[in-house]
Order: sequence, then structure tokens, then C-alpha cells
Amino acid sequence: MLRRDFVRAVVSVGLLPKALLAQQTANPAPPPPAPVPWTLGLNPKTPLPVTEAADGIAETEASFFTSTQLATFTRLCDLLLPPLDSKPGALQAGTPMFLDFLIGSSPMPRKKVYSGGLDWLDAASKTKYKLPFAQLNATQADALIKPWLRTWMTDHPPTEQHADFINIAHEDIRVATMNSKAWDDAGVAAGQDWVTGGLYWSPIEPDMAGLGTTSTQLPPHVMAVPKAPHSIPSYPR
Amino acid sequence: MTETTYDVLIIGSGHAGGMAAKILTEKGIHCLMLNAGPVADVARDAQRKPAYELPYRGFKPPGRLEHVFQASEFNANVWVDEKEVPYTFDPSMPYNWVRVRLFGGRSLFWSRQSFRLSDYEFKGKSHDGFGEDWPISLADLAPYYSRVEDIFQVEGAQDGPPQMPNGNFVPVNEVWSESMQRFIKASQPYNMAVCKQRRALGRDGLASSVNLLLPDAERTGKLTSIANAVVRQITVDKNTGQPNGCLFVDRLSRREMHVKARVVVLAAGTLESTRLLLNSNLGNSSGMIGHYLMDQIYGPGITCSVPEARNGKATKQLMGGGAIVPRFRNITTKYDKFLRGYALNVTSRMGAIEPRNFAAYGAELQQKLKEYNGSAFHITVMGEVLGRYENHVRIDKEKVDAWDIPVLNIQTKYTDNEFNMAKDAVEVGCAVADAAGFEVLSKNDVPNPPGYSIHEVGTCRMGDDPKKSVLNKWCQSHDHKNLFVVDGASFVSAGWQNPTMTILALSMRASEYLASEMSKQNV
Repeated sequence: MLRRDFVRAVVSVGLLPKALLAQQTANPAPPPPAPVPWTLGLNPKTPLPVTEAADGIAETEASFFTSTQLATFTRLCDLLLPPLDSKPGALQAGTPMFLDFLIGSSPMPRKKVYSGGLDWLDAASKTKYKLPFAQLNATQADALIKPWLRTWMTDHPPTEQHADFINIAHEDIRVATMNSKAWDDAGVAAGQDWVTGGLYWSPIEPDMAGLGTTSTQLPPHVMAVPKAPHSIPSYPR
Repeated sequence: MTETTYDVLIIGSGHAGGMAAKILTEKGIHCLMLNAGPVADVARDAQRKPAYELPYRGFKPPGRLEHVFQASEFNANVWVDEKEVPYTFDPSMPYNWVRVRLFGGRSLFWSRQSFRLSDYEFKGKSHDGFGEDWPISLADLAPYYSRVEDIFQVEGAQDGPPQMPNGNFVPVNEVWSESMQRFIKASQPYNMAVCKQRRALGRDGLASSVNLLLPDAERTGKLTSIANAVVRQITVDKNTGQPNGCLFVDRLSRREMHVKARVVVLAAGTLESTRLLLNSNLGNSSGMIGHYLMDQIYGPGITCSVPEARNGKATKQLMGGGAIVPRFRNITTKYDKFLRGYALNVTSRMGAIEPRNFAAYGAELQQKLKEYNGSAFHITVMGEVLGRYENHVRIDKEKVDAWDIPVLNIQTKYTDNEFNMAKDAVEVGCAVADAAGFEVLSKNDVPNPPGYSIHEVGTCRMGDDPKKSVLNKWCQSHDHKNLFVVDGASFVSAGWQNPTMTILALSMRASEYLASEMSKQNV
């Protein structure tokens, strides 16, 4: 027997009672890989970093409206919801660019209402005033808009062509503006709590491997180890 | 591991399943409850946030919940994702299937309006010749309604005419505001009964299966519940041909599992229970499963303003309060424009009026909103949809959901009866508002698509004749004595009433019958 094997045997005998006892525990904890296991440390007293919503800080480029449509829509936003009292208007709230994003992400029928509506409005302006809608003054724009305003009930916007666009866009512009950070900031400045607030439900036990629209692009949460180009062995799980 | 065979398998945890669990476990019966979704914990899963912090500023996430008009970005995650569990329909016949798969189901989120059906519904055919009578009458269900009303703490007055039976109510003592009194006076030519609203107060602000029913069942120690169990199929004993459990898939792991039980109680919500029966090819000797899908027309109504309440003059004496006007057409006289009838929900409100009630924008609109603030008077319609064989659902053989379970194809539409009813309701509403001196700001006489009311009922209707119905009067399958459907699928007619109290009473009655049959070893 080599000396080191002898030493190992003696040490093993010395440890035996403890090892036997340890067998009574079904799953002994594995030895820690490092002084502090990496998942430990965060606790309820951990300070949370303060972050801001990017909306209102960052700028975006229009990706759905054409430049003419965006100019028409920007004028429409300013007309339908200008700054009033201490509240910001649609332009101050970044509403045109936000709705470019929202409508651009929406199903085709909603896109058509907007793109068709904006093209019609600009064409109607050029026919009547020989000017693009974006350059009309308030009186001229009012003459084009007012005849299409309707009263309507929840979930039943007008279906008549042109009236559909004007009334749906009007409501969207109001909601987008009144749910903006600029609107809340004006409320806070006036001593109000944030007024756009509501009880937001996070995904509840989300199905990470699922086929839901929110997770379609996500990889499975347990990945097989990819094949490495070098000689380190991989252990697909 | 030895496989446990439970006494009763309950699929679904909403009002219907919760009531079945409460009744059966209190009789000492071991129940296993499966629910397709997780447990919602408001402390863990919800927090107050400003809209601008959400990706879509509070707008409904585009394309995800197209048919859930009720959804916003704040609550988008509580509804069933239409991409995850799709359903199909002809584009010319849209259907709004609004679903919740959280533990407790739609009992977590409901309007709390609590009515009994009357014999004008239970015995509708005897009254007007259309459809079928239920195999039960109000007298059969009344004792169960009373117990349900006690559990749910239904608030109301004993002021109902025969078509809106009175019940076991927490008394409501509020007096009518002046605007409501003006409505009552103006409605007299129509022989309407204007009654105090009836609503479930529940306990601690909630009237749900999770706080009023399931805790009682859990207290017995006889209930075992599994969340995230998406049931694929009811299994049958190969020797007897009788249901003996189910196959389900774990929503998160996608692991396929199965459980055994002596009795299967379906309470997954009208259309999910029907989908499960169709996918299991079970209980359909009549060929009636999926047929006679009904609900109520919602959407038509009018928004008015009470002139005296404008310009900051609204007071609690003048404004406030709500009323229910039960069906008044085709009760004592026959109305020639449609069969059955509609109820009106009437609300006088001191809050803001929505901008869409004014054909104005900018500063002019702002001025109107200020002027009209506090003067709102709403009249909305709930109309009975007739049960028709051709309004049906079936399995779509081309499409499956996220768990490879075939989805439903829904084929239903409203007819002239429903459209005429909506028009009549709005005409009457406008006439009464006008006579009361209110200004009508906006109106709509076109119903929302079927399903919008979230009151889908029928598709496994009950009856005495096994050739014309799926269930008997105890919500028990004609084909399999150990198979029950205790949700809204058993309805024979929809009525104008919100169906929750009837679903609860039927589930209670069916569960007591089942317990009694099990004790006699008949099941």
C-alpha cells in the first residue's frame, strides 16, 4: 500500500461514523461552488434601483405612418387636443409618435382606418384649400373635421366611412395623451397623485415554454448546452 | 405509487365547480378539483402602476385579446390569451368568447347582478310556444336560490313582479333620488316595474368561489386541488364504458398526466365543458351537445343628461342610485315585434360623462365635459336571446390550442327577434328619458357580437326526453349516470337575467342529488 493510500484509509475510518449518519439525510446539500452561492444576497431590504419609463425621455422614429401621414396626423392631434388649462396637449404628450407605434403594431383593420383616414383627410384638404392638411389653420381644419364628429356609445364607434376614422382617432388621441407621463407630471405639479394609475396584473405564472404571443420568441427556459467548437465536452440536459 | 381513485373529479373552480366542491365535501365525499390556470394572488401578481409605465399606455395589447372588449392593458394578463387558446368562427358571424382560467375562473370578475329566473323562463314554451320548457320550475329551484342568496349576501328589495321573483335578500334601504323618481313616473305608460337593483355583496368586497365556496370545501379536508391542469379528455372504463377520470396536461411543464374518479363533474364554463365532452366523444347520444347556444344582447342603450344637475348643481338628492326594470314585454299582453323581452339597467351617476357623448373637440369639448359633469343618466339593455338549434359549436378539426387540444368552432348569430328587441328597447328608453326631461346624448340600438355579455349558456341542455336533451333535470348525463355538467351549459333558455345565481343554484341542487345517489350506491 502506498503511503498516501494508507493515510486516506485512516482518514476514511475516522470519518465513517459521520458518513453513516449522513446517509440518513436523503439529499445532502452539495458543496458550495464558491464562498457565497450566487442566488443568495437579494433580500427584502435590498434597495431597488430607481428607473424611469423610457417614454418621455427617449425619441423614436415613425415606422408606420408615411411622412405625409405623420404630418397630417400631427396637425390633427394638435387640433383635437391642444394644451388646455394646465394640461399638456397631444403634441406635448408625444401622442403622434406613440400612436404610430400602437397602430403599427395593430391588426390590419385598425391600420386601414388610420392610413385610409389620413390619406382621405389630406386629399380633402388639397381639394378644398389647395393645401396639405398639415398647413391648414384652425378654421379651415374645423370645416373638414366637424361634419364627421358623432356621438356614440362604448364599443360602438361609427361605422360610416370618414366618421369612423375621425371619431376613433379622436378617442385614441385623448386616451394616449391622458395616459402619458406628461399628463401625469402636470397632475403632480398641481398637487395630484398620478391620475393615470390602475391596478396592473403581471403575467401570472407565465408559460415560458408556451405558444402564447408574448412568449413565442422566447427560448425554452432550460437550454441544452450548445455544441462547442472546441474539445470541452457538453452535457445536453 | 398506488393510483388513487377519487370519489368525484370536478373540472373547473368557478362558481359552478366551487359550489359542487362545497356541497360534496361537506357530505364527506372526497373530491379532486382540476383548474386549467394558476392561482391569482393580488398581493403577488398585481400592483398599482401609472399607465405611462406600461408598454401600450393602458391600451389593450394589440392583437392579443381582440374579442375581449372588457380588456385593457392593466388587466390583459387575467384573460385567456386568444392566441394560446384560440377558437374559430366565420368572419361574418363574430363571437366574443371571454374567458378566465385563473383559479376561481370568472367568479373573480363579475358584475354581481343577482336574479332568479322565473317561470316565464322555466316554462317559456308553455307561455308563448317557442323552444322547450325546462324540466324544472321555479318551485324546484327556489329553496336552492335562497341558500345561494344567503351565501352570496344578495342585496335587494322584495319589490319584484312575478317575472323577477323575490328572494332571501339583505334589505336595501336607499331611497330613490329625484332623477330616479322622474324616470319611474315617466315609465308608467309602459307598465314597467322599476325595482331596486339586486347585487351580491359577498364578503370582504369579493363574491367569488375562492372566498365564499372553496374555503368551506377545504375546511372539510376532503378537497384536493391541482392548478395548471389543462384537461385534454375524459377517460372511460373500457369494460363499463362509463367515465372514470381524465387525461390532463400540466400547463407549465407540458407533462401528460391522468387521474381516476368514480364520478366526473364538469364545471369548466359552458363552452369549455361542451368542448371537453365533444373532444371526449361522450354523452352525445342525442346529438344535441353544442346546440342551442344562447346569451343575452348587450350593447344597446342610451346615455342621457339630467339638465338640472349640470354646471355643478348635482346633489345626492337629485342624482345617484340604480334600478332594474325586469322584462315587461310579452308578460300580460302579446307584443307583435318579438318574442320574450329585455330588462333595463338604469343608473343615475354624479361622475364624469365620457367625451364620446359630445360631437365636439378641444376647448369646446372641455367646456361641455365641465358643464355636464355630474348629470349622467344611463339606460342599458339586457335582452333574451332565443335558443335555436342552428346556433351551435363544434370541434374545429383543423386547429388546436397550445396544448394540442382541438379548439371550438362557434357558429351563432342574432336574428330579427334580437335586433327588433334592441331597437324597441332604445326607442322606449329614449321616450321615457324624454318624458322625464332628460337630454339624450348618445344611443345605440345594435347589439355587440354574441358572447359579449359573458353569459353564454346552453349547448348541453337539460330535459326529460333523452332524444332532445343532453342532461336530465339533475344536470346528470342521460347517457352516463356518473357524469354531471353543473355550469351554464344545462340552460334550456337564457332569460334576460344574469345567469350566475341560477348556475349556483343548479350546481347546489345537482351536487346534493349526486351525494344522495352516491350514498344509496346508485352512482
